[in-house]
Amino acid sequence: MKLISVIFTLFIVQTTFGQLLNDTIKFEPFVIEELAVSATYKTTNLDAVTTKSVENLAQLLQENSTVFIKSYGSGSLASVSFRGTGAGHTRVLWNGVSLNSPMNGQIDFSLYPTPFFDKVELHYGASGLIDGNGALGGSVNLQNSLPNFNDSTKSVKLNYNYSIGSFNKQIHSGKVSYLGTNNWFYETRILHSEAENDLVYHNFAKKENPEERQQNAALKQYGFQQAIYKKFKNQTVGIRFWYFNSDRNLPSTMLVAKNDETQQDESFRLLVNTTGFKNKFSYKISTALIHDNLIYTNKLIDVNSKNNSLLIDNHVDVNYFINDKITFLNKVNVRHEQAIADGYNNEHKRFNNSWLTGFSGNFKRLNWTVFNRMTIVDDFFKPIAPSVSLGYQLPKLESVTLKAAAGINHNYPTFNDLYWTPGGNPNLKPEEAKMSEAGLKYQKAFGKTTITTENTFFFAHVSNWILWQPSGGNIWSPTNLKKVENKGFESTLTIKYKLNKVDLSIRGNYAYTISKNIELPKNTDNALNKQLIYVPQHQFNSSLNLSYKNTSLSYGYQYTSLRYISTDNNWYLPANYISNVSISQDVKLKTTTFNLRFQINNLFNQTYQSIAWRPMPLRNYMLTLALNL
Amino acid sequence: MSKLISHIVVGLALLMLTFTSCKKEEFGPQCKNCGENAITPSIQNDVIIVNEGNFGFGNATLTLYNSTDKNVHNGIFQQANNYPLGDVAQSAYYFNEKIVVVVNNSNKIEIIDKANFTSIATITGFDSPRYFCPINSSTAYVSNLFSNKIDIVNLMNNTISGSITTNSNWTEEMLVYNDTAYVCDMSNNKLVLINTTNHQIIDNISVGIQPNSLVLDKNNNIWIMCDGGFNEANAQLIKFNPNLRTIEQSLVFGNINHSPSDLIIDNSKENLYFINNHIFKMNINHTSLPTSNWVSNNGEVFYSLGIHPTTQEIYVADAKDFVQNSTISVYKNNQQLSHQFQSGINSGHILFLP
Repeated sequence: MKLISVIFTLFIVQTTFGQLLNDTIKFEPFVIEELAVSATYKTTNLDAVTTKSVENLAQLLQENSTVFIKSYGSGSLASVSFRGTGAGHTRVLWNGVSLNSPMNGQIDFSLYPTPFFDKVELHYGASGLIDGNGALGGSVNLQNSLPNFNDSTKSVKLNYNYSIGSFNKQIHSGKVSYLGTNNWFYETRILHSEAENDLVYHNFAKKENPEERQQNAALKQYGFQQAIYKKFKNQTVGIRFWYFNSDRNLPSTMLVAKNDETQQDESFRLLVNTTGFKNKFSYKISTALIHDNLIYTNKLIDVNSKNNSLLIDNHVDVNYFINDKITFLNKVNVRHEQAIADGYNNEHKRFNNSWLTGFSGNFKRLNWTVFNRMTIVDDFFKPIAPSVSLGYQLPKLESVTLKAAAGINHNYPTFNDLYWTPGGNPNLKPEEAKMSEAGLKYQKAFGKTTITTENTFFFAHVSNWILWQPSGGNIWSPTNLKKVENKGFESTLTIKYKLNKVDLSIRGNYAYTISKNIELPKNTDNALNKQLIYVPQHQFNSSLNLSYKNTSLSYGYQYTSLRYISTDNNWYLPANYISNVSISQDVKLKTTTFNLRFQINNLFNQTYQSIAWRPMPLRNYMLTLALNL
Repeated sequence: MSKLISHIVVGLALLMLTFTSCKKEEFGPQCKNCGENAITPSIQNDVIIVNEGNFGFGNATLTLYNSTDKNVHNGIFQQANNYPLGDVAQSAYYFNEKIVVVVNNSNKIEIIDKANFTSIATITGFDSPRYFCPINSSTAYVSNLFSNKIDIVNLMNNTISGSITTNSNWTEEMLVYNDTAYVCDMSNNKLVLINTTNHQIIDNISVGIQPNSLVLDKNNNIWIMCDGGFNEANAQLIKFNPNLRTIEQSLVFGNINHSPSDLIIDNSKENLYFINNHIFKMNINHTSLPTSNWVSNNGEVFYSLGIHPTTQEIYVADAKDFVQNSTISVYKNNQQLSHQFQSGINSGHILFLP
């Protein structure tokens, strides 16, 4: 009877919060709810409110986490790395489907405007193991919430946002949902945005540092997402289609006088899934089709390069509740990857399959998960990649949970690594990461105040790290050259205070990361035991939110320490300190809510670069009007 | 409880303060070992290492080396001018008592004062300039990557005065002999002959795959190194007679993976040196390629080669992993290592000042 109630609770939770059911990370808190122990891995959850106030994923993560964002500037390519690993070691999943390009293994975070998802979860280090191959650093999970079929308040909901900002930026986004009869649900999201990005900067690369306006940086993005869901008795079936188009000019560095480069990206993403439960089983089955086109042109040198990729990604996740203490986990992923590019001699295809099997459960105050991931990619067969995680709630101090996790993950060479002509190396081996972490979580409410803190030490070894270097005749070619050790410490602290109509919350995130080469060829001694390039040792961000009735004020601060840009650590980009401030006012009229929000970014007008010689915007403004009904 | 909160708030505020208070006015990439000490003007400042830097990183630098007292100054251009040299410094020359530096990805040429390294002029408007070759005291040719032209530069007013259209989109090293410029055409595997008085193309001579460098020997033969492309064909060292316009000798490298480059000649114009993983030396009278190396790379990544005009010592750069400072090794004529010093990132060209 107890078991059934657990399953029932799970189902309710699942329908409310999205695709959480078969995801053990989120799964655990619900299973072991009775024990009041939270997740044992390090994760960060960014909810709908947080995601709404920013433009894209890169900015969202920059302000709310300590993952490192490498940005080529406003609207330009942005990549994300966790815990000192590379951008290709970050998996990005959309409702469980990995979107990473089979060509370069990466994701351009500037192409993910926040209106297209409701929630973002970050899985650090070993917690990314559940998300599949390749997450040597961690993973970013973009989630669309499942509809709430029990919502009886309104059958039609509408949300519309219009933002206008510096550099001729204009963003329209909207969402309409309709809960029909017989448990049918429809939802449409649209976005259109454009910007000139003609920001003014001081050109430190020129005599007398003249003030210049960035050229060739205009951007236009549009897209829509359509979802249809139908709920049956113990099962929900959904289909979601997402089209996205981006067309932008690529600005040059401050040192380049002439440039005429453009990039067009187009994505078609189709996802069909069903979730449900039967007896002691719960399941989630999904199939997705992801098609990406990228066209790069450089008129000056007459280059017009086309890249096409197709992913067919199928998941069957089945959990079996052995008893109220132990759950059997089973996740099968059959993924077909296919790509063609001007840089390849012919089209390349491969299967990237994995099978995860394990157990999760609780024993008194101990909460545990053990699983193994078996992978088959092309000719590689890796039968063993285990992971274990433990959480223990202290008997006398129930607000403290000790946690530890460890695991192994592999990242397979990308098509570019293997087949790019010239240079590709078909003999590459997969990169392997051995990861571990330990720490504690503390959460306690003192009257009107709640304090939450989580502190995690991590340690990881990445071997066979693939590195591109010039070989004979100036041709760049990749090899499994490096062995890297990553270690560090992550700390978060949140304080919430509530008094009558006043809400105050203070949040701080800090990460200390040491990421160094521990094995290198003899003549490159100067890079041995040195911090990897573009990995800051210290990152800190904090925010303060104060709201009173319908007005709220927030202040955010981000610090990034210096990043070395040469492997011998002789060159570096200086540290930067950015502050953003915003004020927001809600006006409620019957069933309609208006919200007006004004934001100042880079309040103190700091000159900084995220990537060498790419100017970042000085003080800039954005005004957003939102309408909800 | 409120005490605890106030402690935490004060702690956070202090933490933020420590992060903000140690601010220093640094903008853009900074180099730790550049401009460490003042440049001492000296006629013994005789070697300039041109460090390409990394594409897009804007970390091209010039290293000054004094072969007598062995003093090294890194980043002299930035130090003398307060702005960086640019993105990808390709090559440098000494001409009309000035230093000429071709900065490829910044589409410019810097003309630099020999004594204090300040910029006298910046010639802009190139597409992707590679090499510079004076044809008389006031005019020079500039080869280009991704552009079907050789730019003609007027060195009196430091502007581009015209161009010669080629059907190549990658021209590389050049030399002038008897009113004719000989230009390596990497994309068509040709040697392009240009009349330097009327700037007309005279001839296109087929050579090996990808001719990258060339020198003139004492018998007035031109030696051309063709690297063979990326496993396209075997590399070749070609001896070309410019007077008869005939190839006199083609020496083919045995291994298709070999990609020789950096062909140079000593002062006597009798001995050729080049890089083919290791350093090789060959007398111009030899009719076959050297079978053993002159100096082994010993695990280093040889990236550029130079020969000192007076000491006859061989300078070779080790580019290591291409993302850190190179080491320059100086070898005596008897193949013994005489000295080593650190330069900048990707030392791709070595210039000797008279």
